This record gives sequence, C-alpha cells and structure tokens, in this order.
Amino acid sequence: MTGRARLLRLPAVLGMAAVLAAGCAGTDPDDGGSAAGGSTAPSAAAAAAPAEHAGHEDPERAAGRALAVDVSGGRVTGDTGRVPVELGERVTLTVTVDAADELHLHGYDLTAELVPGEPAVVTFPADIPGVFEAELHDAGTVLLSLQVG
Amino acid sequence: MDPSIVDGPAADLLAHGVGSRTDLPLPLGLALYGAGAAILVGFVVLLLFWRTPKLGDGRSGRPLPERLQRAADSAAVRRGLQAVALAIAVLVVVAALAGPEETSRNLAPWALYVTFWVGLVPASLLLGPVWRVLNPLRLVARLLRPLAGAPRGAGRLPALGLWPAAVALLAFVWLELVPAGRTDPDVVAGWLIGYAAVQVGAALWFGEEWFAAGDGFEVYSTLLGRLSALGRRDDGRLVLRSPLANALTTPALPGLAAVVLVLLGSTAFDGLTRTAWWQSGPGAADDVGSGTFGLAASIALVGLLYLAGTRLSGRLGGLPLGSQPRRFAATVVPIALGYTVAHYFSLLALDGQTTWILASNPFGLAGVDLFGTYGNAVDLRAVPPDLIAYVQVGAVVTGHVVGVLLAHERALRLAPRAPASDQLPLVVVMVLFTVGGLGLLFGF
Repeated sequence: MTGRARLLRLPAVLGMAAVLAAGCAGTDPDDGGSAAGGSTAPSAAAAAAPAEHAGHEDPERAAGRALAVDVSGGRVTGDTGRVPVELGERVTLTVTVDAADELHLHGYDLTAELVPGEPAVVTFPADIPGVFEAELHDAGTVLLSLQVG
Repeated sequence: MDPSIVDGPAADLLAHGVGSRTDLPLPLGLALYGAGAAILVGFVVLLLFWRTPKLGDGRSGRPLPERLQRAADSAAVRRGLQAVALAIAVLVVVAALAGPEETSRNLAPWALYVTFWVGLVPASLLLGPVWRVLNPLRLVARLLRPLAGAPRGAGRLPALGLWPAAVALLAFVWLELVPAGRTDPDVVAGWLIGYAAVQVGAALWFGEEWFAAGDGFEVYSTLLGRLSALGRRDDGRLVLRSPLANALTTPALPGLAAVVLVLLGSTAFDGLTRTAWWQSGPGAADDVGSGTFGLAASIALVGLLYLAGTRLSGRLGGLPLGSQPRRFAATVVPIALGYTVAHYFSLLALDGQTTWILASNPFGLAGVDLFGTYGNAVDLRAVPPDLIAYVQVGAVVTGHVVGVLLAHERALRLAPRAPASDQLPLVVVMVLFTVGGLGLLFGF
C-alpha cells in the first residue's frame, strides 16, 4: 500500500469514530438526570423500596429479573459469575445458604441477614451503572458480579 | 470471624486496593475503533510525520516569572509544605491504627489507595513533580540528619540509578493488588510505617538525593511531571514547554525502564483481574500465590515485549543494545499513563468521594463532622458510564499516540539518517500494548 492510500484512510476512520461517538452519546439521555438523586440508601431491610427508574417504563421489564443463588458447603450454584442486567431493571435476588451469614451487595450497599435454609429475598431497582459484587460478608465468598448497564 | 474486620476479605475481591464497583466492559465498537486508530497512528507517524528531530531539547522553554521561580525554589516554602504533608500523613496513619476498624469507615485505605496514589497522577500532570516538593519523608530525614551524621553511602547512590524506586514501586503495587488484607487499616498503617522507616533509613545512609532515586512515589510523580507543561531548563530555570519536549528531557538513568515496566505491568494485571477469564481461571483461588504469580507474569510479559522491541530496533539501527531499553523508556510513560487513567479515573471520581466523607471524622467519634460531609453518601452515578468509556478509550489512544511520537523523535535524534523501518519493532510492541490494554478494558 502506498503512503497516499494510508493518508486517505485516516480521515475516513476518524470520521467514522466521530459518528459512532455521537451515536453512543445520544443513547442514554437520562443518565445525567439520575445522577441528581442521592445514591445508595443504606438499607438493612431485606426489601428495598420498589421505585422504578424514571425513563425505563418498558412493560416487559417491569416484571423484573429474578436471580437465585444457593450456597452449600462453600459452593455457590445458580446465577453466579458475571450476571448482566439492564439499567433500571428491577432485580429480585434470592439467596439460600446452609450457614448463617450476611449478604452484602457492594455499591448498592444492600445487606440482608441469611439464616440457614430460609431463602432471603432482596428486591431493588438496578439503577446504578457499573459492576458490583454480591458476597457473603462473613465467609467472604463472592456470589455473583452484577453487571448493570 | 470477627464481624468488625469482614470488610477486608470482602473488599479485596475487587480488583484494586479498595472500591465498591468496577467499570462496565468497554463496548466492542469503541474498543475496535480505539485499536484501529492506535494501529493506524503507529504507521502514519512512522511514514508521514517529521523526518528530522523537531521537538525542543533541555535548553528550550519559556521562562516563568522570577517571583514564581523563587517561591518554587524556596527552602522555607518546601519545608512548610512538607510539614503540612507530614501532619496529614501522620493523621492518616493514626486514623488507620485508632479509627474505625471496618475498611468502609476508615480513612486510611481510601486516602492511600485512591486519593494519594491515583490523585498523584492528575496533580503531577498539572503541576509537575509535586511529590518531590511535598515529600514529608525528606523533612523527616532532614530532621534526623544531625543524629545520623554525614551520609556515608552518598558516593554509591548514582550507580543505583532508579532501580531502588522500581523495587519500592513493586512493593507498593504488590500490596495494592495482591494480599487479602490490603484494605485492613492495620495493614495499611504497618506498610506505611515500614515504607517510611526503610526510605528514611536509606536517605540517612545515601543522603537526601536518595528520594529522587529510591522513593517510588517521588519517582512516579517526577516521571509523570515530565508530561506536564512545567519543566526545568538545563540551567535550572523553571520554564513552560511542550509536554512532548519535556518528556524527552527525562534522563535515561539505569532502572528507568524497570520503573516504567512495573507501572505498566501492574496496571495490566489490575485490568486482568477484572476479567471473567482471570476470575474463573488462573485467579480463581484469589490468594497471595495466584496474585503474586499474576502480577509477576504481567510485568514479565510487558517487560519481555518491551526489551524485544527496543533491542530489535537497536539492532536494526546498529545502536548499542545494553542501554537501548532505558533510552526509550520515557516514551512508554504516556502509554502507562493512558492505562492508568483508563483504569483508575472512575475510582478517583466515584469511590474517591469516600476520602472526603471520612476526613470529616477520621476517628469515627460520635458527633464529630469537621467539614459537614460525614453524613454524605457516595454518589456512584456522578459520572455516567458513557463518559467513563470515552475517557478510557481516549486516554489509551492518546497515550499511544504520544508514546509513538516520542519514540519517533527519540529515534531520529539517535540516528538521524536511519530508515523509518528501524523503528518498526518498537512501534509494533507499542501497538500490542495498546490493543492489549483495550482488550483488558473490553474484558476479552
């Protein structure tokens, strides 16, 4: 390839990158708005307020996303690993353990007492974008990484 | 387990020292455009940019007003600033030992890993080698000097180059990225006290110039400061000059390449630990063994690539190979910086808020709220994810472009008549670094 051909391609690629940038920037206009609200309300309750994220009134999503993990003998089964959910989706996380512990979802700062054999249910709107770990506070075991956005 | 220290193992599962979140994976499109731009720029620079050295050298720059120079060089100003920094450092260590035991409520881990370590980057880029001016350990060494007598090892210091700083930085990034207890306030306090003792001890033996060679934080800040617009002319005059020209005035001391590769490799390892591949594969055990191995392997990999690229370029150009890696090390600093911004920008902007909240009440006493921030909650939505993604790609690609430009200029200065193809091996390695960095942000 000649130097001239490379020269010609540079602006084309940069132009495409600019178009892409503009397109992406416009896709999520309500992100800035959600920043105005206070963020994590530390909640010791098992159920957070079922507030719907403004601007995400998709009826299909209103039903929410049900995630369940079981911990038995230190092994985690169910919805483990990296779990993607949509921004604004309502998430119901059910955790069943075989040893008393405490559930902690980082970032959202949600906690719940875990009693052996009794499923604990935490419901919250996934309204903070990012990747957050849910873990057993005492054992330090990671249950899942919630990928919001 | 004592419930009061459970935040240690909890928080350490995150990739970096502390933090409540990690970034979303980079969108595929952005990652690809970034990689494409990086590759294209590499070759465009080689073939189409300037063919003779163009940037200013150590004599270039626009002098700053005399008054500013006098203030910056004033011993009294420096001692005063160092005294303030020392007071803050002592407060952080005492807070680590006597403050709340939970990581999430203790000032020290946030102040060290987020505000200081990450904050040193924008501070140095803006103001130059700030930690050289503020370094509280310089003041401590100066105060202890009468007790210790003359520095007996001063003559041997130049031979060490920057190798001691590479070791110091390795000790810090290992603490930051590997051991399970790294977020425990006690561990933070112990490490800081140990670091200060070793550094002050070495400074008493080698003299105060030790800090410019052996204090990892000072060397890091000085290196980043070379990418600021503030520099010193060869005659010591404080000047404003292009960051590109400034970067190329970095002295190619022995060990410079090691410092840069520790920085680059450790940030790569931090990115690696955030990928699902690492978390469910080699790093699944999440213990000191796998972490140490991963950190060592990351530094070794970027090191081998870099050595191969610089030596091959040197061989093509018939240059002496031994000093080749350190001659180009300053040109890799922008690439390491691009990674660092990409990985830690959101940490400083979001989890960094914690430091200012906890600073209102460092000892967790009832009713204390010095700055009226103690009741605030961290706003994890302060920076939208789109912006984080653009900053990440922008930083990595900008770092790459600047790195390639600097390497090109350096090569022209070393061998003005050499064909551009001599530079190809190093450019290819830089492209690999950048595409690898974007891949880590994308999460592979």
